Amino acid sequence: MSFIIKTLIFESVFQANPIVMIQFIPLLTIQTFAAVISFIAGALVTLVVFFLIFTSSKEEDKTSAKHKVYKMRGRYFFGLVLSIVIVLLLTLRLLPYEKFQGTPEETVTVVAMQWMWKMGPGLSDKKPAEFGGAGEITLPANKMIRFVVTSSDVNHSFGIYNSKGVLVTQTQAMPQYNNILEHVFDEKGEYHILCLEYCGLPHGLMVGKININ
Amino acid sequence: MIEISATEIKKQKKLVLTWSITFLTVFPLLIILGLLMRLNQGEKISLGMDNFYVLMTLHGLGMAGILYSIAFAALWYLIGTRYAKLNTGTGYFVFFMVLAGVAGLVIATLIGKFGAGWYLLYPLPFKGTFWPTWATGLSIISLIILGIAWLIGIIHLVYALAKEFGGFSNLLGWQYIRKKEVDRELPPIVLITTVSLVPGVIAFIAGAVFLVMFLLQHFEPTLAFDPLLLKNLIFFFGHTLVNITLYCCIGWVYALLPEFTGRPWKVDKVVVYSWNATFFFILFAYFHHLYMDFVQPLPFQYAGQIASYLSAIPATAITMFGVIAQLYHSKVKWGVIPLSFLLGTAGWAIGGFSAVVDSTIAANKVLHNTLWVPAHFHTYMLGGVVLFILGFLFYLSHSKEEQEKDKMAKFGLWLFVIAVHSFIATFYRGGLRSIPRRYSDYGGIRIEYTHSTGALLAQIASVFIGLLLVGLIIMYVSIIVKLSKRKIPSAGA
Ligand code: HEM
Ligand SMILES: [Cu+2]
Repeated sequence: MSFIIKTLIFESVFQANPIVMIQFIPLLTIQTFAAVISFIAGALVTLVVFFLIFTSSKEEDKTSAKHKVYKMRGRYFFGLVLSIVIVLLLTLRLLPYEKFQGTPEETVTVVAMQWMWKMGPGLSDKKPAEFGGAGEITLPANKMIRFVVTSSDVNHSFGIYNSKGVLVTQTQAMPQYNNILEHVFDEKGEYHILCLEYCGLPHGLMVGKININ
Repeated sequence: MIEISATEIKKQKKLVLTWSITFLTVFPLLIILGLLMRLNQGEKISLGMDNFYVLMTLHGLGMAGILYSIAFAALWYLIGTRYAKLNTGTGYFVFFMVLAGVAGLVIATLIGKFGAGWYLLYPLPFKGTFWPTWATGLSIISLIILGIAWLIGIIHLVYALAKEFGGFSNLLGWQYIRKKEVDRELPPIVLITTVSLVPGVIAFIAGAVFLVMFLLQHFEPTLAFDPLLLKNLIFFFGHTLVNITLYCCIGWVYALLPEFTGRPWKVDKVVVYSWNATFFFILFAYFHHLYMDFVQPLPFQYAGQIASYLSAIPATAITMFGVIAQLYHSKVKWGVIPLSFLLGTAGWAIGGFSAVVDSTIAANKVLHNTLWVPAHFHTYMLGGVVLFILGFLFYLSHSKEEQEKDKMAKFGLWLFVIAVHSFIATFYRGGLRSIPRRYSDYGGIRIEYTHSTGALLAQIASVFIGLLLVGLIIMYVSIIVKLSKRKIPSAGA
């Protein structure tokens, strides 16, 4: 039990404390960023809840309370609209789709099937079911790789994890369609593939590997 | 304006009690399924992969179904006892059809081992299954029965309201925009009911379309539909159903909270604009489920993120600020009912925020189908919808004074809420650590860190699930004791 609590506390501090985080800026992943802003939002909501509970009064204070809340709301509204516009402008450029990526240097065909990954170099002209790739492939570092991903049966998702267990990118593997995923591997070593769309009984066993050198 | 007689109110009360007792029975059983799943992922028990997915499917379908049903039933009750004449016969017909659909799903899952997950992504229910085909057929038919039942209920309710308030556009509050002075005030609950349930009709029709396609596929296995089209239909249906469940609850928060704060909460132009906008956001936000389908047309991807972001404006600036305006420096006494509503709103806010994070395409790339997804929807379903429902049940069982004095219920509520958020924290942490969702266990993952973190978090979660069950039982005792006392005097009245 104490081990559990220690882990929990350590993880929360590490994950959510902005001061600790600054030392890890090079490690600032999207996940960490999501953690920090969600934590702040959660803390704010909690504060508002306790504020409301502790400031309710015995006497009815109708007019000034209403006035204050509406003034706040006006400011909040403009702040919110402004931040939405800014965040949309910033994030809608960072899309994982082909159009928003660079020119690919190598192509890899990926076929998902219940319950394995088949990968092979180049663009395959075979039907997905007849494609004969392997569950492991070796690729170069720091090159834009273009994965052409499809499935020969149900939906799967091609999730790429680095050796530390961080999900770095993914795309769905869907029958009848090719999803194009482009990615640059910046670390040498092992990457792992997990299936991220429930595809039947051994969904959790549907793994593959990418070696980067 | 219509007068609703005391006998009519009594009939409606009986109907809503029937729904409530069903909810109170089914809900903890479905939680136990969740506990079993977490224990299995924590490697404390061994269900077998097949049973895990069977329980996951039943849990997801059951929770989504029972919460929508009780939310709908609560709206029906409040409207049927205040604003419009609703036929209790139709009400019971819907109830028994829902029961039949649920019975079908229970048989298909627990006996037939149907385990395609709650949204039955095409073509999974038909390919490489570990269950017999009859279980697929029975599931499809049961879902069709459920869909028809809900559709009948919605249409009856909206039709009765339109008749009472002089036309459909009045239900959407357009008279506030057209005229300076309205002839008759529109109660907010009526506006919100309309905005929630009409997208529901559209969603159920989409649901009917894909279920009929499924049925065709079931009887003619050589058929092959477009998987992208079906994905769109399925997520439109699933997302909308879950989304409107929450909005239904907001309907009664608007109606009931003023009874405790003594401040009116009325429809005005701003409220009308805001809920009419919500109508569209409900319909378009579902695109955020398909970001990782890179072949989906780009404008839809943009629409998903923009609609998801914009839905935060009416939700927070109008409704949540409305709650704040109700409560700030008011003379509310913190009984268990206003407390459930406030804490539920907080859960909605937190879950909504993490949903917005996930509906950012750039972030979705690394959060999609990790535990972040169950994290966010459990926050606003379990930390939001369920608290609103409990608040409503307290409203049925407790008088205003009783709910203020009921210390036990308040203790149960706090315990429940704290345990719920702690349980969900394990999902969030899992999502941030890239632990995939819908894994029966993490033993197959070759990254040791991911495996051990996933299992550890599941173990921690199990402890909090135990605690939240204790909190729930305490509230149950309070509700059931009060309900059974209430029955006796009202029988003579
Ligand atoms: C204490 C209460 C609850 C517990 C312990 C619980 C637990 C769980 C667990 C462990 C999962 C599987 C997560 C995974 O993908 O690995 C899950 C999935 C799910 N839960 Fe819950 N849950 C609870 C309440 C709810 C509520 C209130 C809803 C309301 C809608 C809900 C709806 C769902 C759905 C739709 C899924 C997804 C099923 C699927 O992926 O097919 N749960 N829950
Ligand atoms: Cu798979």
